[in-house]
Amino acid sequence: MSFYRKYLKNGLKVGLSVVAVGGSVLVWNAGKSAAFERVDGEKILVVAGRQSVETLDPSIKYNASIRTMQQALYDGLVKYEGSPANVVPWLAQSWESNADGTRWTFTLNSKAKFHNGDPVTAEAVNYSFARTLELGKGPSWMLADFLKPEGIRVVDEKTIEFNLEKPYAAFLSFLPWWYVMNPAQVEANAVEGDRGQKWLTSNAAGSGPYMLKRFEQGRLYELTRVKDYWHQDASKSNIGGVIYKLVRETSAQRAALMKGEADIVLNLSPDEFKQVQKAKGIVTSTEPALTSFGLKFNTQGKHMADRNLRKAVAHAFDYNALVTLFNGNAVLQTSPFTDDIKGKISVPAIPRQDFAKAKDYLSKSAFPDGGIELEYVYVQGFEVTRQMGLVLLDNLKKLNINLKLVPLTWPNIVARGSKPETAADITAIFTTPVSTDPDAVAYQYHPKSWGRYYGVHFYDNAKVKGLIEQARFTTKWEDRAPLYEEIQKIIVDDQPEIFGMMRNRQVAYRDYVKGFSYSPVRMTTEIDLYGLRIE
Amino acid sequence: MFNMFAKRCVLMLGMLLGLMVITFLISHVTPGDPAALAAGPDATEEMIERIRVERGFDKPMIQQFAIYVGGVVTGDLGTSIHTTRDVLDDILTFFPATFELVVFSIFVAILLGIPLGVIAAVKQNSWLDNLIRIISSSGVGLPMFWLGLMLQLYFGLQLGWFPLGGRLELMTDPPTTITGLYTIDALLTLNFPVFFEALQHILLPAVTLCFPALASIIRVNRAEMLETLALDYITNARAQGIGVFRIVALYALKNSILPTLALIGLRFGWMLGGTVLVESVFDWPGIGLYTVQAATASDFEPVMASTLVLGAWFMLANFIIDILYGWMDPRVLKKA
Repeated sequence: MSFYRKYLKNGLKVGLSVVAVGGSVLVWNAGKSAAFERVDGEKILVVAGRQSVETLDPSIKYNASIRTMQQALYDGLVKYEGSPANVVPWLAQSWESNADGTRWTFTLNSKAKFHNGDPVTAEAVNYSFARTLELGKGPSWMLADFLKPEGIRVVDEKTIEFNLEKPYAAFLSFLPWWYVMNPAQVEANAVEGDRGQKWLTSNAAGSGPYMLKRFEQGRLYELTRVKDYWHQDASKSNIGGVIYKLVRETSAQRAALMKGEADIVLNLSPDEFKQVQKAKGIVTSTEPALTSFGLKFNTQGKHMADRNLRKAVAHAFDYNALVTLFNGNAVLQTSPFTDDIKGKISVPAIPRQDFAKAKDYLSKSAFPDGGIELEYVYVQGFEVTRQMGLVLLDNLKKLNINLKLVPLTWPNIVARGSKPETAADITAIFTTPVSTDPDAVAYQYHPKSWGRYYGVHFYDNAKVKGLIEQARFTTKWEDRAPLYEEIQKIIVDDQPEIFGMMRNRQVAYRDYVKGFSYSPVRMTTEIDLYGLRIE
Repeated sequence: MFNMFAKRCVLMLGMLLGLMVITFLISHVTPGDPAALAAGPDATEEMIERIRVERGFDKPMIQQFAIYVGGVVTGDLGTSIHTTRDVLDDILTFFPATFELVVFSIFVAILLGIPLGVIAAVKQNSWLDNLIRIISSSGVGLPMFWLGLMLQLYFGLQLGWFPLGGRLELMTDPPTTITGLYTIDALLTLNFPVFFEALQHILLPAVTLCFPALASIIRVNRAEMLETLALDYITNARAQGIGVFRIVALYALKNSILPTLALIGLRFGWMLGGTVLVESVFDWPGIGLYTVQAATASDFEPVMASTLVLGAWFMLANFIIDILYGWMDPRVLKKA
């Protein structure tokens, strides 16, 4: 036995020594975590986001994280700035349109240059718009019905003209989503006629305030600030660059911010956000956003085709719960249009919880005593939407209506919502318009939106359809405004959904980060890196 | 030995083909239109149709399968809708990270699990045995996700000893790629600062990942050792005055290790496919997370390719275990 003990003792001694030495090296090594990163004396901001950047190609795809990168690497003719959001000159220093809004002429800023030093010309603008339209992906849907590549004309080196096939009042409001690429760089890297798609996935050919340094898919994306950025406000930033790193768990994001491994975190859960609000050295910002949350009724379905039933459900719902679930960081909708949409009015008749009215509407419906089961579909794993379903379930019990909660993955929700026959009675949907022009929201209630995730209501009203079409082809705002007012009132009256709330955009960052510019039209977790600095 | 090797190879090829058929069928019968998802939320019908044709989703399923198999044979695993890159490039990017994590974890599990199992058996019903049994029970019971978060919050945030996630610090350049495993590549290139940094980053995720395997190894090894230590030849060896260490390490352990070996093979495969939670908590850019993201986006080609690669590794791991089985117990080779 002593032989065994001796071996055990010696083994333990050796093991403990190895652990002690290894542990010391590792722990000593660990003390390096600081606030922002530094490279060659320059401060590098670290942004921790949960959404990966699949591609940088402006013609192929956009979402919040991709837009954050594209906005930094590229410039558009115009840009959204401020709150309320305004379209301001960027690559284009001025523009004009003809009386019926079918011809738009832009004059480019002569200082504008790409990162490789090439000037930004009208030919580059022509190439970029034509490329996006011809590839038929990403933002092409915004203008495809009105603009064809043949309609773009280079007037001279600094002047570009867009000839629309028909007037489109919202034309200018979509241009901030169209970025200009350097044709020489893109074509030099094209393979097998792909128009540079493969190369532009992880490379950039832009003129924006940042250049791409590293693109490590699934891990991080590093940008270097362009010191001689052509735009006049280039001097307002003092950072060397930005790292957007992926931190997929909200609790890990919070920990990274607290430890100083991240300077800005995006998309924290409501509870995590509440916790960091109390922490020292951390600043939080809560600003309105265009994203709305609604419970879309299948107005062509077995149950919800009945307007009175829709009204009954809408009056039974506890709207305050929507705000409570986001710890107060949300605002109830007072119209189908969200607050920063031009021409939005507060519709007086928009429902709030009122069980007397709910019962009255139910008595007029085809199901006067309830006794039915409605299906509520929400995104699997998206806890907030499940909780909203539970609130509705509780509310509808008072009308003797049962609610069946069905969690589905997003692809399955999209698939089921493609046809009225398969769509659920109620689908919980977040929607983000990409423009502040009312057409961007109104068109969600046009039959052409059926089958898309926000058209899962299959709403059909010939009058509304006519008004939407009339308004989008009318150029003068004085003529458009009353049309949109009427559209909002009719939609509220028809109740194709429970008009829910607008969730605020929430960003948490270290207190030395300055220069946030806020604009409601950006996507919920999108930030503008231009102008950020450390003080 | 050669016969066994040849039989195993044929069997593996058959299983891989079966795996391809199953993953292809499952991917293609699940609801969801990958073309619509690839086109984006605002895409028009024309945009969706264009992508459907571009990606060959409009072709009959049998033709799609033939194209897929042909692609696999020539090394073309398709293009990911989600990352818009070649799937092979993605696999080569993400697989080494998972492989490193799993190998490191299984190594830790073996290194700790076998001695602890032996000690628990030798010291049966002592306080040491009870302590080890508590560890093994909690290893089976604790949710990996929760354990990872707790380790991260305590050792990462509270004590600041370890980084919260990732494979290296943000500003550290990875070592020259030889194997894709940062710790190994750093050692091979004698880049010791990066080696220690990589080691520091892998430790918490590896401990989290290895815990269930460690617990199983302890339990199985303890049970097998107890059974073996009660056999006559051990009593005989003791009667002959042979030292305890020799009896335990040479006579008992070798004969009781076979079920543990089989368990290690299974655990290795399970870990390869089940790292997604750990990868998610520690932002480990591995294939588990990549596959789950692809699956939730109805991105078929990465899912099929990942399953194929993971399946092949699982089979290979079990093949190695079979060889070790034969080496430990020559009767297995004779039967083969």
